[in-house]
Amino acid sequence: MTGADVRDIDPGDGRLATPSASLAPAWRSAAPGSAPPTAVQPPRSPAAEEWLESSRAPAGRDWPEIAEHLREGVVVCGPDGVVWHVSPVAERLLPEAVPGGTLANFDGWHAGIAEFTHHGRRLRTRRVALSAGRGCWYVEDVTEHLGSVDALAAEQARAAFLAVVGEKLGNPLHPDRAAAAVVRLAVPALAEVAVLVLAPRSGRARWWRAQRAGDDGPKVDQGLLAAAELPSSVTDSLRGLTPHTVDWLAEQAVEAGWLPGLSAADVCARLVALPGRDAPVGVLLVARPAARWFDEEDIDLLRVFAARAGAALTTALLYRDQAEVADTLQASLLPAEPVQAPGVQWGTAYRPAQAGLRIGGDFYGAHRLPDGGSVFFLGDVSGKGVEAAVFTGQLRQCLHALHRVEAQPARLLRLLNDALLETTLAHGQGRFATLVLGVVRPHRDGGLALTLAGGGHLPPLVLRSSGAVEQLPLSGMLIGVVPDPRVGQVTTRLAPGETCVLYSDGVTEARGGRRGTEQLGTDRLVQAMTGCQRMPAPALAERIEQVTCDWLAQRDHDDIAVLALRATTAGRPQRHLHAVPAPVSPASRAATP
Amino acid sequence: MTVAVTGALPAAAYPEYLRCLAEADESAAVEVARGLLDAGVPADRVLLDLVAPAQAEVGERWARNEWNVAQEHAATHVSEQVVAAVSAYAGVRPERGRVVVACMDGEWHALPARLVAEVLRLRGWQVTFLGASVPAAHLVSYLHRHDAYAVALACALPMRLPQAHRMIEACRRSDVPIVVGGRGFGVDGRWARRLGVAWAPDAPAAAELLADERALRASPPAGLAQLADDEYAGLISRRAELIDSALAELAHRMPATRVYTPSQLDSTVSDLGYILDFLAAALYVDDGSLFTEFVEWLEAILDSRGVPAVAIAGTLRHLSGALRDFPRAAGYLADGYVSLPSPERRASAPEA
Repeated sequence: MTGADVRDIDPGDGRLATPSASLAPAWRSAAPGSAPPTAVQPPRSPAAEEWLESSRAPAGRDWPEIAEHLREGVVVCGPDGVVWHVSPVAERLLPEAVPGGTLANFDGWHAGIAEFTHHGRRLRTRRVALSAGRGCWYVEDVTEHLGSVDALAAEQARAAFLAVVGEKLGNPLHPDRAAAAVVRLAVPALAEVAVLVLAPRSGRARWWRAQRAGDDGPKVDQGLLAAAELPSSVTDSLRGLTPHTVDWLAEQAVEAGWLPGLSAADVCARLVALPGRDAPVGVLLVARPAARWFDEEDIDLLRVFAARAGAALTTALLYRDQAEVADTLQASLLPAEPVQAPGVQWGTAYRPAQAGLRIGGDFYGAHRLPDGGSVFFLGDVSGKGVEAAVFTGQLRQCLHALHRVEAQPARLLRLLNDALLETTLAHGQGRFATLVLGVVRPHRDGGLALTLAGGGHLPPLVLRSSGAVEQLPLSGMLIGVVPDPRVGQVTTRLAPGETCVLYSDGVTEARGGRRGTEQLGTDRLVQAMTGCQRMPAPALAERIEQVTCDWLAQRDHDDIAVLALRATTAGRPQRHLHAVPAPVSPASRAATP
Repeated sequence: MTVAVTGALPAAAYPEYLRCLAEADESAAVEVARGLLDAGVPADRVLLDLVAPAQAEVGERWARNEWNVAQEHAATHVSEQVVAAVSAYAGVRPERGRVVVACMDGEWHALPARLVAEVLRLRGWQVTFLGASVPAAHLVSYLHRHDAYAVALACALPMRLPQAHRMIEACRRSDVPIVVGGRGFGVDGRWARRLGVAWAPDAPAAAELLADERALRASPPAGLAQLADDEYAGLISRRAELIDSALAELAHRMPATRVYTPSQLDSTVSDLGYILDFLAAALYVDDGSLFTEFVEWLEAILDSRGVPAVAIAGTLRHLSGALRDFPRAAGYLADGYVSLPSPERRASAPEA
């Protein structure tokens, strides 16, 4: 025994508060054969030196008493491994160790293992070589210490688990995704098998199940049960009735087919309701082997988890209900694709300012006329977002009705102006629109004849078969502002392969360039279209959209709409298709290796 | 019909199909595809062995400056119509989950993604193709409204990797697994690995990956520790200023650029923007080869359009001077510079 050995085991936490403990530092350094005092020791006063001198001899005498109060037990062995001496603590921890015996003859003792369980206590040992081949074993009982370490680790694991839960369920999710995420998160942290049953909708309840499957994460599946077939405990729980322990819960879960390959005796199960807006949004059933019973802390964790899962599912369901309404309304406000017309190839592009919204203040459309022609239009209403979109809806409906009574573009535009003024006055809202409205009819010499009326909108561009782009001279006043506005009108003819393009100011006023402040402008648009005379109308519309978006480079923008109509190259002779092989005859098939 | 015969048919029809694309002849192209289907060629073979290689050839012709953008657009449009016709012909009933296929915001090369979408549809998935240039907000709100089993995201240009990463994260937050594809993630998918996302080299591989949900969800962690040095963020914030200074330097070094038309100036500005965006993407994924590959590609593109590589070389020199405080960026610029042919480099060197 050396002073250095003793110093190593001083826990430094004051637990050695025996009378001799206060003397310990002095005693250690004074013990026989000790290492020289090290630099870490505080400088001593002359009085202390004197006391030290006088206490050397008593230290040897006090040794058995001191050793008795050490936290570690001590076993001293001879060179042959025979036990020479056992301290009282060691006697208690290792009753098998007796002087004259060896340490090899009881369980758990292996020279190489520094920590093992013995008589229900967790022991930590270390061996220090003494002089003359003897060895000293220090044995410490670390059961409590490890217990608190385990408790801390468990607490940290719970916190980490809840952090993951917060991250996964904290974002708005689709209800089905949220349900799958809930069961996936519950395994293996809470259970081997987790089943989420959603509150029944129209007599049927959907369930999701996650089962532990190796280390890659749980296997998730789902199913449907008639509300009447749900286990009674689940039904009760959905009504908010049940306590958390339910008799025969495991049996009911097995009965429902949720625990395949398991018998009720093998598992312990728990049921927890997931809080919803008024009644529970669903219930979560967790099951694990009977050996891992749910303790108080597990139940607490389950409740916290259930609260978060309930909130996520409630949000998801709420969002879905609202999204269904919004979706239906949006669908009715989206520009309708132009109706097919002979000799006309339509191309459109539409990109609302708010990408998540899908609708905006730009609109286009086309309707067939009884005489074989079509009326088409593209415009832009004042304002942005939903309100603007609703106004485009009214406007399109107006046009849909009015084109049946008036097919002359300028007069139709004036009729629309009157109708809008009337609604505007009735509702007291100052809304107006700019638009180009045209009528297209097959021309008797081939191609298409166009008559266009302008209501304060950007004049259309025409891509000629030479590849050149010309702007139609079309002007006019805003629609829906004054009675009897000035409406411009222009006619033109599209030869086969020529295209007329209507577009909104979201195209030409797109801000981009080096600093994102320069407008795209008509010149760049004309440039982008020049030489594209062979492009089909949809490709040309998409090209304009692409050029605009490239110019924007992900910056915010106004609504963008393009409507292109191209005179198709009809009357083209039917081509012979060389590439289509004739059906293979049996003879040639046989010749094929 | 033996496998060998049906396998050879798309190759036999290929020249005629290319001719239809060159003439932007939609109905003839559809006829070619329909003929193959009638002869018993499986629909996915028509897509992968006829339409896909033809589209790659269209891109090559544009790169060699044999076709202009208008021809490329028109050919692509025709191929899209063919894909639609092939899909309608096969008419497979969806029996598996919903897969959402989208192109990155700003990506207009939708056809490769469309082919993936159709191949997945042919394998029984219920596919929603959101089209070209899908804004992240649009994709996310779609995922909220419709339960999706997975998202397949295409990215053709590596310069969009930072945005792709944000889109991947957005899908993950909606708890929808994601698989990515396209040249933008590198020919071997190495930048997808860097972003910690599952990658498929082609449509059949994507279909295989989607069939294995656990493989889909088991994505490796992203390796983006390099972003801590702020070089990426710094470069992005100095983008406009760097374009200005590079333009000024170009005007000083090459007097011809002073009399550029507005549209020539626009394309010079956008080329400078590409250089900086690819450099930024290389910083983002911490891989200089991304930038070097781009420089080699740009050199080839500009060369085919009569712009000498000396213009790029000088700009790279200028930028590496302006980015002296960005060691990683300066290193990539130096590597890009070295990858250019040496006479061009000498010509770009300032006179002693």
